Parts: sequence; C-alpha cells; structure tokens
Amino acid sequence: MSSLQQISFLLKKDLRIELRKKESLVSMAFFGALILVIMNIAAGIGKSVDVESGAGILWVAVIFSSILGLGRVFAREKEHGCVAALLISPISPGEIFIAKALVNFSLMFLSQLILVPLFYVLFGANFRGGPLTLLPILLLVNLGFSAAGTLVSAISAGTRRNEVLLPILLFPLILPLIALAVKATAGALDARPISDLLGQLEPMIAFSLIYSAAGYLLFPFSIKED
Amino acid sequence: MLKVKELSSSAFLSISDLRKSYGGLEALRGVNLELQRGEFLCLFGPNGAGKSTLLKIMATLLRPTAGQVRVLDYDLREQPEEYRSQLGMVSHQSFLYQDLTALENLEFYAALYGVNQPRERALELLGQVNLTDRADMLAANLSRGMQQRLTIARALVNDPALLLLDEPYTGLDEHAASVLRDQLQMLHGRKRTIVMVTHNLRRGMESATQLGILAKGKLVYLQEKSAVDTTSFEQLYFQHLETA
Repeated sequence: MSSLQQISFLLKKDLRIELRKKESLVSMAFFGALILVIMNIAAGIGKSVDVESGAGILWVAVIFSSILGLGRVFAREKEHGCVAALLISPISPGEIFIAKALVNFSLMFLSQLILVPLFYVLFGANFRGGPLTLLPILLLVNLGFSAAGTLVSAISAGTRRNEVLLPILLFPLILPLIALAVKATAGALDARPISDLLGQLEPMIAFSLIYSAAGYLLFPFSIKED
Repeated sequence: MLKVKELSSSAFLSISDLRKSYGGLEALRGVNLELQRGEFLCLFGPNGAGKSTLLKIMATLLRPTAGQVRVLDYDLREQPEEYRSQLGMVSHQSFLYQDLTALENLEFYAALYGVNQPRERALELLGQVNLTDRADMLAANLSRGMQQRLTIARALVNDPALLLLDEPYTGLDEHAASVLRDQLQMLHGRKRTIVMVTHNLRRGMESATQLGILAKGKLVYLQEKSAVDTTSFEQLYFQHLETA
C-alpha cells in the first residue's frame, strides 16, 4: 500500500472525528473571533487602524487560536493509547507526521475562513487590499506553523503540562515566520504588488520548508519512548 | 531449571541477548528466546520483571539497548514496517478512538494495514466478537465489556502472524474473557504465534503451549507445557522468583 493511501486514511479519520465533534474548529474560530472583538474594542469601535497595526491584530488572533487546535490533535491520539496503535501499524512515523500536519493545516485554514472576513468587517474600512491578497501569506504560515506545531505538539503531548509547554516551545520557533508574515500582510492590506512582497515571501517559503523537513526528520524521535 | 534453546535460523521468532536499560536500571538483562510458528508462549513474572518492556520492544514501541529481535526474516530494527504488518497487539489500553463507531474503528485499522475490503473485514470481526448489532455505536458509548471485545477485534484486523498480549485478561468481564479465549484458540488452531505476558497463572496456562518465567529482567525458565506438571507450577514459579 502506498504512503499516500496511508496518509489519506489517517487524514480522513481525523477530519471525520473533527467534523463530528467540531471541538477544535469551534474553539479555534470562537477564540480567534473573541481576540478580534477585544482588539476592536481596545482600538476604539468604529475607528480605523493602519495596515501595520491591522496585520499585527490579524496574526495575534490567528496564531493564538491555532494553538488550541494543535494541542487537541495529538491529545486525541494519546487517549486510550491510540498513538501506540499507530506506531505498531505499518504506517511510518513520517507518514503520521504528514497526516497530522495536514489536519492542522486544514483546521487553521477552515478557522481562517471565519476569522479573515470578520477581521475585514471589524477593521477593514481603510484597507485597499482585499482578503484574497492575503491567501499566499496565510497558506505559507499555515504550512510552517502546522509543520513546526505538529512536531512540538507530539513532544508536549507526552508531558503533564501540555497546554503550557506547547506555546512556550512553539512561539519562539515560529517567531521569524510570523514576523515576516506581519510585514507581508501589511503590504498586502496596502495593496502593494506581489513583487514588493517577495522580500518577505521568499524567506517565508524557506522557513516553511525548513520546518516541514525538520518536522518530518525529527518526528520519529519525538513520538517514541526511549 | 533454565531451558534456552540454541537459536536457529528457521525460527519464527528469535530474540537474542536482548537488553534494555532505563538510565542505570537494567529492565532486561540479556533475554534469549526462540519460538516456532504456531507456538503459544505465556510469560509469567512479578511486577517490574521486565515483561511489558519485552513486549513493547517486540512491538517496536521501545528501542532495545542491545540485542536482536527477528520475526520470520524481518529484523525489528532494519525492516520495522514489514515486521509490524505481521503484528497484532492487545494492551492495557484499548487503542480505540472514542469518537468513532465500532465499525469505523475496525475499518480504519483494517485500511491502515492494507486489508482488502476493510469494511467486510470489520463486519466479519464484529460478528466474531458478538458486536454486529453495535456496529454503529460510538466506542465511547459501548459498555466496558463491549469495548474490551472491540479491542480484541481491533488486534485481529490484519490477521496477525504474531500476536502480543499484555495482561489481556485484566479487567475483562466473563463474556469478554470467553471471547478472548475463543479467539486465542482459533488463532492458535490456525498456526498463529502468540506471546502473552500475565500475572494470572490459571488464565495463562489455559491455552499456552510454552510456559516461561521472567524475573529481574532475565528469562529464568522456559519449558513446553506438556512437560510441566501444571498442578505444581505455582510452587515452581515462586521458587524461580526466589532464586532469581
């Protein structure tokens, strides 16, 4: 059986559970929306924000809400020893990593389908760039964040203080990617041409690929007992 | 009396000089073991003897510090995926996704093992453990006994050539224990190799063809059941624990 098939079985299983329970997606979207509303109140309801502040607000909401989903995906596998069942099956740890990263990627993207429009409703009066201009930035961050997040959540899921350890380990790791994303988002909100954003997008591609490769290679060591 | 056979290349399962240390603590201190296809080994031992460690290494869940495990021609370290495709395991934990139905759980695992027609296989196993009428119930809503039967079915999705059982009778109700016993007898009848570790001497001796005692990380006794006086095995067991 091909790796692709095994990854798709695992992905379908996780998405089926998520769509049935909706616990990660609802909590991510709700928490992200709550952050946006609080930021809107702090900035002054009805007042416009500049593109730099807007970009910062969007990424605070996206990143903090995404942490909720990351923790849950692995916690579910740890319950009733399911992760051990995966490890004794013919699926390789690398395939488990890819499937879990894809689940996290999908959850982030689905929650962004709610958060980005809400962000525009609350803050978008003065932005010249539309939501679609944000798409490449969102996809690159999702890729890097889900890859690094899958690795770190596998490490932290085995600890007692999972919910504390996950952001403490993950945020410093993805800081360069988020800093670049905030700058690129400010440019996109200002409707600058994509050629002007390459200075941020190219290193974002590099970071996302590095996180993905490192996650794939290190994941077997993070998930197995010694 | 310690009986450890010379390792031969034709063995179905061969373990040689297997060692495992956790920091300074030696959990396994050179275990040698060989089983032919279709043999059913029950390993007894007190808490901390290294039984679960041995089983976890055999299941590729733990890396050994030294030594070798081979099943058929697959080396545990060099061909882990091929080796694992031959493996089934029943552990303390159910390995069940609580938010999937009984049928979805078995279908998922069957698909993962590359079973042809995973849905049919899942339905067949549900029938074998008397859970056909609960196929569409979430695992979380099944009673403990039903979950245990589903756990047994889950371990058999790939029709494993080697089945590992870690204290499988712990917490089982009578129905689940009888289903497990029937399934083990059926697998044994089909020449599947089984390794079970347990504290429970009576349950362990019911179906096993080989009896072993693990104490302080060493296999101190291994004998065919037909050569053992089962009525005095308990006494023999405690003697070996004292002298280990």
